[in-house]
Amino acid sequence: MGMNAQGSMAFPQVWHPQTAAEAWHLKQSFGTDSVYVSGGTLLRTQWESGVAAIPKHLIDLSAIRGLGEIRIGETGLVIGGQVSLEACRTHPIIQRHFPIVTEALRQTAAPSIRRLGTIGGNIASNIGDSLPALLGYNAHVVWYNGMEDLQITLSEWLKIAGMLHTERLLLQIQLPFQADETLEGHEVEHLRSVISKTKRFSAYHKVGRREAFTPSVVTASVSGSLSEKKEVNEIRIALGGGQMIAQRLEELERELLGKVIDVQLLRHVYNRIMQLYKPREDLFASVSYRKTTAAHLIASELWKAAHQ
Amino acid sequence: MLLNRENSGSRWRIRPDGAGKVTGGLVYLTDMTAQPMLYGLVLRSEHPHARIISIQTERAKQHKGVHAVLTHRDIPGLNAFGIAHPDQPVLCADTVLYVGDALVAVAAESMELAQEALELVEIEYEVLEILEDPEKALLADAPQLHKGGNAMHRTAFARGDVDEAFKQCAIVVEETYYTPRQMHTYMETEGGLFVPGEDGRLTVYSPTQHGFMDRMQLARILAVSLEQIRIVSSPIGGSFGGKDELNVQPYGALLAIQTGRAIKMHNSRQESVRAGLKRHPMRMAMKTGVDAAGRLLAHQVDILSDTGPYSTLGAEVLNFATEHVIGPYKYENLNVKGISVFTNNGMSGEFRGFGGNQAIFALEGQMDRLAERLGMSPWQFRKLNMRQKEDLGPFDQPIAMTEGAERVWTAVEKSRLWQEKTLLEQSAIAVSTDPWLKIGIGAAFTMHGAGLGVGIPDPAGGRLQLAADGKIEAVFGYEEFGQGLLASLEQMLIEQFGFGAADIRMIIGDTDIVPDSGSTTASRATAMMWKSLQRLKKPFTDQLLKEAGAIMGCQAEELQLREGGIGKQTNDQVLLSYADLASKAIFPISSETSFSFPTSPTERVGAHFMYTYSAVVVKVELNTLTGRVKVLQQYHAVAAGPVINPQGYLGQIEGGSSMALGFTLLEDAVMDKGHYMTRNLDTYLIPTIADQLGLVEVEPIEHLPEQDEYGPRGIGEVGSVTLAPAIAAAVRQASGKWVTKLPIEPEFLQETPFFLTGASGNDRT
Amino acid sequence: MTEHSKQAESTFALRCVINGEAQTIETTASARLLTLIRDELELTGTKRSCDIGRCGACMVLMEGEAVNSCLAMAYQCAGKSITTIEGISKGGFDPIQQAFLEEGGFQCGYCTPGMIVSVKGLLDSNPSPSEDEIAEALSGNICRCTGYGGIRRAVTRAIEGRMLAK
Repeated sequence: MGMNAQGSMAFPQVWHPQTAAEAWHLKQSFGTDSVYVSGGTLLRTQWESGVAAIPKHLIDLSAIRGLGEIRIGETGLVIGGQVSLEACRTHPIIQRHFPIVTEALRQTAAPSIRRLGTIGGNIASNIGDSLPALLGYNAHVVWYNGMEDLQITLSEWLKIAGMLHTERLLLQIQLPFQADETLEGHEVEHLRSVISKTKRFSAYHKVGRREAFTPSVVTASVSGSLSEKKEVNEIRIALGGGQMIAQRLEELERELLGKVIDVQLLRHVYNRIMQLYKPREDLFASVSYRKTTAAHLIASELWKAAHQ
Repeated sequence: MLLNRENSGSRWRIRPDGAGKVTGGLVYLTDMTAQPMLYGLVLRSEHPHARIISIQTERAKQHKGVHAVLTHRDIPGLNAFGIAHPDQPVLCADTVLYVGDALVAVAAESMELAQEALELVEIEYEVLEILEDPEKALLADAPQLHKGGNAMHRTAFARGDVDEAFKQCAIVVEETYYTPRQMHTYMETEGGLFVPGEDGRLTVYSPTQHGFMDRMQLARILAVSLEQIRIVSSPIGGSFGGKDELNVQPYGALLAIQTGRAIKMHNSRQESVRAGLKRHPMRMAMKTGVDAAGRLLAHQVDILSDTGPYSTLGAEVLNFATEHVIGPYKYENLNVKGISVFTNNGMSGEFRGFGGNQAIFALEGQMDRLAERLGMSPWQFRKLNMRQKEDLGPFDQPIAMTEGAERVWTAVEKSRLWQEKTLLEQSAIAVSTDPWLKIGIGAAFTMHGAGLGVGIPDPAGGRLQLAADGKIEAVFGYEEFGQGLLASLEQMLIEQFGFGAADIRMIIGDTDIVPDSGSTTASRATAMMWKSLQRLKKPFTDQLLKEAGAIMGCQAEELQLREGGIGKQTNDQVLLSYADLASKAIFPISSETSFSFPTSPTERVGAHFMYTYSAVVVKVELNTLTGRVKVLQQYHAVAAGPVINPQGYLGQIEGGSSMALGFTLLEDAVMDKGHYMTRNLDTYLIPTIADQLGLVEVEPIEHLPEQDEYGPRGIGEVGSVTLAPAIAAAVRQASGKWVTKLPIEPEFLQETPFFLTGASGNDRT
Repeated sequence: MTEHSKQAESTFALRCVINGEAQTIETTASARLLTLIRDELELTGTKRSCDIGRCGACMVLMEGEAVNSCLAMAYQCAGKSITTIEGISKGGFDPIQQAFLEEGGFQCGYCTPGMIVSVKGLLDSNPSPSEDEIAEALSGNICRCTGYGGIRRAVTRAIEGRMLAK
C-alpha cells in the first residue's frame, strides 16, 4: 500500500539530450534508475499512485531535434513523437485526412493535459486512446534501437510491446495517405466515388465511465469502404481500452473482405469480436462488458455504413 | 415561475464573497502560512484491522528538521473524538480498525522532511481478520470491533401488523436496493494552520461546519479549557457534511502545542480519500403491499448500513434513513427496522442528504413498481397515498403543516416534461436517428426533514450590533462553505431591515467573536438566520431608532432605517448616518437572540418537525449498445417556503442534483479487503461539465400557510435526494428494466441490437 | 556524453515570465510549477487539490493556453510566459470574472480560479465557441458545488460581454 503519499517528494535529475543517440546512451547508463519523459503527465499519475517509483533520472526527450513538428513526408504525414496531443487534435491536415485520429484525441484526457502530453507518450504507454485510431490508418512508427532508426508498423510495434517497451525510443509516427489522397482536393474524391460508387466510412468510439475526461473502458475504430452492393472492399478494425494493449483484428478483417453486409455478416462480426478481442478486467468493467460493447459498436458502424 | 436570473429581477444579487473567489484573492485556510512554520503529517495504518505490537519513533525523531513525533502517549487529554460518541482514537494505541487510522503525527521543517520522518517510523502489526461485509459482521463468530459489539445502532418503528396486512394485499412488491459509498469530493482537501499564541492560547484556522463543536472536542483532547482555543473556520472550499467531524485538527493542535510553532497541514487527495468520511453504503430490503384500489396497506423495511470503524454520526444517519424510508406516504401497517454496523471499511458519516438519498431511492422504487403492477400512473398512485396537509409525519409525529406535498405534486403533473412522458408512451414522438438510443422519462417525490430532529441539541441564534465605525454587524456562528450563507444573510438584512450592502459587516466562523448558533448542517442555517432576524428585528430597530431619536431630537416613531443611515418617514433622505449614530450614541446598540430549532412534540429521537418537499422529473437517453445513460433534462419543483436568495437557491438545487447524478450514474469509492481502490480523481469520477449538459429547471413553490411562523425550510440537501429514483424510473421507461443498485451498471442495460437479431431498425424508432 | 546532455543538476534556475514579470526561481528541474507558484511566489489563487491533473484547480495559462500547474515541471516552463489568476485580475475584473459574478458561476470558489483560467484560455483563442467546444475546453475543470449550470451561464455571458466590449 505504500506510505501516505503527500504529492511527489523526490526530485529526480533531469537530462536534456539533443539527439536520439544521446538519449539512448543516457538510458543505457542509468538503466532502471531512469525513465524517458515527454510530457510526463502519465508518469505523474503513476508516481502519485505508487504504480511506479519516482526514478533518480528523467531523460527529457523534448529537446531532441526534429521530434516536435508535423510535416508532410514522401508517403504520408510525419508526426514527431514530441508533438503535443493538443497540437495533433487541432492540426488541419490530421483533421482532414485522418479524422478519426482527431476524434480520438478530442476524447483523450482534457485539453490542458493534452497540451503537456505528447503523441509519442500516448503511443509509448501502449494503452493510449489514440492507438485504435492510428491503427485504423495503418500507421508506422520510427524508433531508435541504439544504432539506427527503424520503421515498423504500429501494429507490429504493439505486438512486441510487452517485451521491450521501456528500452524502445519512439521518434516518429507516420500516417500514410490513401493512394488517391495524394492527388489534390475534393474534386478527385468526388469523381472517384461517382465512378466506383464506393462508400468510405470511418468511426472512432471511446466508451469510458463518464461523458468526458475519463479512463477508457473500450476504444474502437473501424474504417473501410463498401461497394455499391454493400460488399466490403477494404476494412480495418482496431480495439483497445483499459489496460489492454490496442490491437488490429486482422483475422476478422480478412474474413470480411468481399462479403456483403447483412444480418449474417454482422452476427459473424459480433461473434468474432467476442472471440478475438482480449480486453482486461478491472474493478470498473468486466471482460464480457468490454467485449459486448466493442462488438456492438463495430457492428453498428458497419450497419450504418450499409444502411445510412 | 421558474427560478432564474431574469425572473428574479433585482433580487438576483452578486454574492458578497464573489470578488475574492473570482480573483483568487480570497485566502482559504489551507492557503495560510506563518513564519516560522512547520509542516505536519500523519502516519496512517497500513492495515484495515490489526493489533499494534510496537511503534518505534526514535529514528524519525532523530531525522533532520524534525521537531516532534507524537504517538498516543503524547495526548494530554481524551484520546478520542466523534461528534455524537467519541470512540475514534486520535492516535491509535493498541488496535487499528481501518486504513485511515492515525498512529503517529510528525512536524518538520519541510513537507519532504516530514514525509521522510514518517518513513522512518517502524510499526509492528499483528494482522487481524477483516470485516468488510456488514452482514458478516453481525454473525456470532465475527471478531468484535468494539466492546458493545458490531451493531453500532438499531432503529425500529412499527404500527399495526404487517404480516396480517400482506395477506390482505392485492399486490405485494419485494425488492432489495443497494447504494454506493459516495465521496464528498470537496475540492479543498482538509487542512489548515495551527498557531500557538504567546498568551498560551491556540488558534486553529481549519474548515469545519461547527466551530464550537471543534473547540469542545479539541479542548477535551488537549485537556485545556474551552477559552484556551480559538477556532477560525471559514471560508471553506466545500464540505457537504464531510468536514463537520474533526479531521486534521487534533494533529495540528497537538503538534502546535508540543513544538510551540505554527503548524501547517494540508491533506493530499489520497490521504483525504483514505481518512475521510463517505456516504453510508446501505442495503435496503423492502416489501410493500397495496389493495386492489392501490391503497398502501403494509410496508416493511430492513435497512443495513455500513458505518465503518467508528461512530461519528452513523446512528443519526440511520435514524434519518429510518424516517425517510417511510417518507411522504400513509400506510395502515408499518414495520421498519434498521441497523448500522461497524466494519473495517472506510469511515462513513455525515453527507448531504444524511441517509435520505439512500432511503428515497429505495422507497420511490417501491412506489413505481407498485403503480406499474396496478396499471396506474405512477404519479396518480403517489397522489392516492400521499400525506395530506393535516397528516402527521412519518413517525406519526406532529409536523409543521404546509401544502408542499400537494403543490410539488401538481407542479410535476402540469410540467411539460411529465406530459412528454405520456407522448413517449404513446410513441407519438420520434426518438432518434440512431435506433439504439432510447428515451425515458421518470419522476420521484420527496419529503426531506430539516434540522437535527428530536433529542439532539439544536441551538440557534445570532447577534446584531452597531460597530464603533458605524457598520451594522451581523454576527452568527454559522459557516460559509460555498452554499451562499453570507449572500443570504446580506440579502435578508437588506430586504428585511432596509440596510444597504455597504452598511453591513458580516462576521462568522470565529469562536472568539460569534455566539454558538449550532452546526451549519441539516439544511438549517438559512432558516435559523431568518428566524433570528425575525426575533431581532424589533429590538434592534427600536434601539437604533431610539438612540437616533435622542440625537436628532425627535420621536423614534417618526424615524426609519434606510440605506446609509436613518431618516424620517416623511421623506427619503438620510438624516443621520450609521457612523454618526455610532459615534454619538450613549449606549452600545446590540441585540442577541438564542433559541432552538423547532422540534416536534414527540419522544421519537430524530423525528423532524419541518420538511421540504420536492418532486423531480428527469429525461434520460440510454445507449443500448453501451448501456450508458445520459441525463438530458431535469425539472425540480421545490416547496421550501420563501426564496431568500434566488441565485443561491438555484445553485443549491442544481449543485445538489449534480451530486445526485454522480451518485446514480458514476460514483463509488470502491473498497477491496478494507483498502480503497479509488484513491484519487483519476479513478473516483465525479460529473464533469460534459455530464451536465442537460437543461435543469427549478421551480420554487414559496407558499406557506398564513399562520406559519417558521419561514424558509432548508434547501441545502433536498436537491441531492430525489434525482436518483427519478432516473431509475426513466431508465425503466427506456429499457424496461428496474434498477436496484447504484451507481447503475451499464452492463445491466445493454441490449442485443436489432441488426443482430434480424429485426428492422425502423420498428424500433 | 555531449555538452548538451550534461545539464542535469540538482538545482535549476527557472527563468520565466509570471504575470508579466520576469522571474528567476532557484529550484530543481523537476519541481512542480504549482509548488513554485504557491510556495515560492505566494500566489495562492492557484489551488492544490488532486496533484495529478484530474481536477483543474491548479490551472494556469502557459503561453496563453491552459495547463495543469501540478503536472508542469520547472524545466518545462523555462522561457515561458505564465499567467495565474492573479495575472488575469491585474487590471480589475476581466469580463469573464464579471460574468462569473453576475451569473453565480461559483459557490465554494475553490475551483473558480482554475475554471476562469480555462475559460480565458478558451475565449482568447476561440471567441465564440459552441456548447460542445465549451464542454471540451472545461472538461478538465471539476466543480463539485454548482453542477456547472452557473458556470455555463457565466461562459455564455462572458462571450456576449467580450463581443460587446469590442
